[in-house]
Amino acid sequence: MVSVELKGLVRKFADGTHIGPIDLKIENGELLTLLGPSGSGKTTTLRMIAGFIESDEGQLLFDDVDMVEIPPRDRGIGMVFQSVALFPNMTVYQNIAFGPDMAEWKHDQTVARVEELADLLGIRHLLFRKISEISGGEAQRVGLARALAKQPKLLLLDEPLSALDPQLRERLQTEIRRVQQKLGITTIYVTHSQDEAFAISDRVAIIDDGKIIQVGTPEVLYDSPVNEFVARFLGSGNIFSGIISEVKNESIVVDVNGNEFRVEGTGVKGDQIKFTVKPEDIILNKEQSEDAVLGEVLAVTPLVGLFKITIALNGEIIYAITQDEDFVKQMRSNKERKISFFFIPRDAVILRD
Amino acid sequence: MSKIGRGTYILLSIPIVLLSIFLVYPVLRITIEGLLSGRGTPFLQVISSYSTQYTMVFTTSQATASTVLSVLVGLPGALLISRLDFRGKSIVRSLIIVPFVLPPIVVVVGFMQMFGSYGIIDTSLMWLTGSSTSILNIADGAVGIVLAHTFYNAPLVILLVSASLERLNPEIEDAAEILGATSNQRFFRITLPHIVPALSAAAILTFLFCFMSFPIVLALGNGVYKTIEVQIWDSFRWADYSEASSLVLIQIIITMTLAIAYIRIGHGNDQDVSPTSSMRTTKFSAFQRKEKILILAYVVMILILIGGPIVAIIRAAIYNPVTRSYSFEGFAYLLTGGASGGFNPLINTLFYGGLATILSILLGIPLAYAHRSNSRNLPTLSSVMVLLPLGISSISMAYGLMTVIAVPTGLNINPWPIIVIAQTIIGLPFTTRSIEISLRSIDPNIIDQADSLGATPFQRFFFVELPLILPGILVGAVFAFAMAIGEMSATLFIALPQNYTLAIAIYDNLGVRKFVQAGASALLLVVICVIAFFTMERISEGSTGGAL
Repeated sequence: MVSVELKGLVRKFADGTHIGPIDLKIENGELLTLLGPSGSGKTTTLRMIAGFIESDEGQLLFDDVDMVEIPPRDRGIGMVFQSVALFPNMTVYQNIAFGPDMAEWKHDQTVARVEELADLLGIRHLLFRKISEISGGEAQRVGLARALAKQPKLLLLDEPLSALDPQLRERLQTEIRRVQQKLGITTIYVTHSQDEAFAISDRVAIIDDGKIIQVGTPEVLYDSPVNEFVARFLGSGNIFSGIISEVKNESIVVDVNGNEFRVEGTGVKGDQIKFTVKPEDIILNKEQSEDAVLGEVLAVTPLVGLFKITIALNGEIIYAITQDEDFVKQMRSNKERKISFFFIPRDAVILRD
Repeated sequence: MSKIGRGTYILLSIPIVLLSIFLVYPVLRITIEGLLSGRGTPFLQVISSYSTQYTMVFTTSQATASTVLSVLVGLPGALLISRLDFRGKSIVRSLIIVPFVLPPIVVVVGFMQMFGSYGIIDTSLMWLTGSSTSILNIADGAVGIVLAHTFYNAPLVILLVSASLERLNPEIEDAAEILGATSNQRFFRITLPHIVPALSAAAILTFLFCFMSFPIVLALGNGVYKTIEVQIWDSFRWADYSEASSLVLIQIIITMTLAIAYIRIGHGNDQDVSPTSSMRTTKFSAFQRKEKILILAYVVMILILIGGPIVAIIRAAIYNPVTRSYSFEGFAYLLTGGASGGFNPLINTLFYGGLATILSILLGIPLAYAHRSNSRNLPTLSSVMVLLPLGISSISMAYGLMTVIAVPTGLNINPWPIIVIAQTIIGLPFTTRSIEISLRSIDPNIIDQADSLGATPFQRFFFVELPLILPGILVGAVFAFAMAIGEMSATLFIALPQNYTLAIAIYDNLGVRKFVQAGASALLLVVICVIAFFTMERISEGSTGGAL
């Protein structure tokens, strides 16, 4: 297996836009996900790693060897495509065996490898079917087997599950993760779905507008997003924007449209500042507390095992989550639409830019 | 569409009934009667005769040669159109269809002027070698026939195969590449299998067109080279009805088989996959030197073979290769009335063509609806009806119409309605197909919406559907009009001198070596076709390929 490093990789387009410079290191055996909205450059980045798109600047190192000049077929990569792109004129077996055939493996060796992968992915019974005779989920497994057949050192997956229904998607996520860990293959996974990225990855790189914004484990990204984009994109936070009205030891007071909040951190009085608080860290008061502010309940949405409360505070929308069914009932029976809430200063995360 | 009522059913059956009366019944009857009447050579004698066998061998071999050449010329073009990134690509793509709408007899004129004696190439060679007599004439005989067929059908191959290439998911080729396939392996294992259905369909269609070719063979074959189609006409002129009918039978068996094979392949290929926008193209500068030379050589060849004859028509209108002088007599001819002038044929052309176009629209709309209706028999019947003109040659149809319809009704004295009927039947598949494509693209929700808002079927058709299929109708109309004004086979078969159209006048003038008169008439037809073509392009925004 291989470790991959992107050093200042840039791709310029005719319309003047560009992707990069991208700096990113993927450790040997790691599964890293490139996560970003559509048009953010994640697929372009993946295709630069595969070699389908030439980079204009920078280095692409596989175990410290620069691959920029090497054609895709010699990079030792397996790739699963967004459209799966199985060869429609071949059987499942022929699809999986295509890579070994091109590399002129011995017949026995190819058969053994195809059978091994077919067993690993549970598609042995499909080997002699035509591509038109297998389902979407089966096609994904075949695509994965085909990508792995030649024992690549690096596996690239370009939104492989985006066309599947949610249940199947979840099952295949687990499957991909299982196979990846079993083989210990370095893997780069592209998706626009936060759930998928968090479910499958060792680390996630958030990409926006052609740049890597933040790299980290799902927990780190969720708990401490570096900026508003990450916070909003991961859906992790309520974003508050205000002016620092007071600086204390290890905490500041932020004036958000007339409501004052205490936030752990430092700053300069009078500065504009943004911070985020996760919905589960918003504490809904049953009684008035001195730190609390008063908002108006717009909606109460039942989710699995909990309720999402939508609160309006001076025109801003704030989401909170509660498991307290009695509280919700009580709130519903009350005609009172006002609700007070607060959060522990430690739970607020100050956002750069 | 919801279940259809009795009235609608009758309305939708009208074109099917009319086609049965004017196409199926006459052809069946002449075939059977001709064979049984004993007026002329009996069937067994016909198929065992030397001349028939010679004609059949020639028909088949010229069609085979033309098909092979069309594929050889067309395939690189299809690859270039879909893979090469160049400026003006959309213009080139829409120009490809031009040869297809040009009348065959016009192409003959262009070919003679480009490749014939004292044509553009011959003149250049004479100038180069200092010769004072003609040294090259390839617009003649078997070579000329095959080249002219290639002129017509290579663009067809380009069109169908490039459309198929554009439906190939580029990720499939990427997948092959990353799995280690070289560009050759990719072509033979992935790309070629993908385009095989389209390539076969194009080849069958080409073979079919060449097999039934009439004007080109008649004009360039000098009476020596005949297709079955030409020989049917000959037999009819010599009143050997039994021979004519025997030949019609032989021809229909072969062409119907081919037409069915074409439709079969077409259906297997009809996966409604739209061209992928992510199609990978390569800039010319990215090719290697050797490849660049090959590409340029190909483009030059196409310009000479396909562009050349079209441009040469301009020269044909003013240059007389017999006297080797320039003159404007051709244009004067077009303005001359009376029996010897070109004005009456021009009026005939526009009148018959216009009428046939209107009729093929009026019939094409119910036929297209019948095709999409969910009643039990209509879709099958209507697709058979649209398929028939593909498998029944124009000459067979004209023969049937003349014998079975014109003679009993007395229309053979002045058979212009028969000409209009023949041209309508020839144009009908184009209008139907074009209208059906527009119908298919109507969002069914819009129809449901109209229904739910209380529109009667009548209101729904006139206020909702008709405006939506109008572009399709216009494209079909232009196509049918181009076909009608250039139609020569059936028209020549049916027409008496007072019914001559420009296409026939061109053939006549060529026969009596009035080259500028033929040239000027050809130029006029080209201008009409080109105007029609650009109108069509404007309407359809480049989706004309669908009308095939």
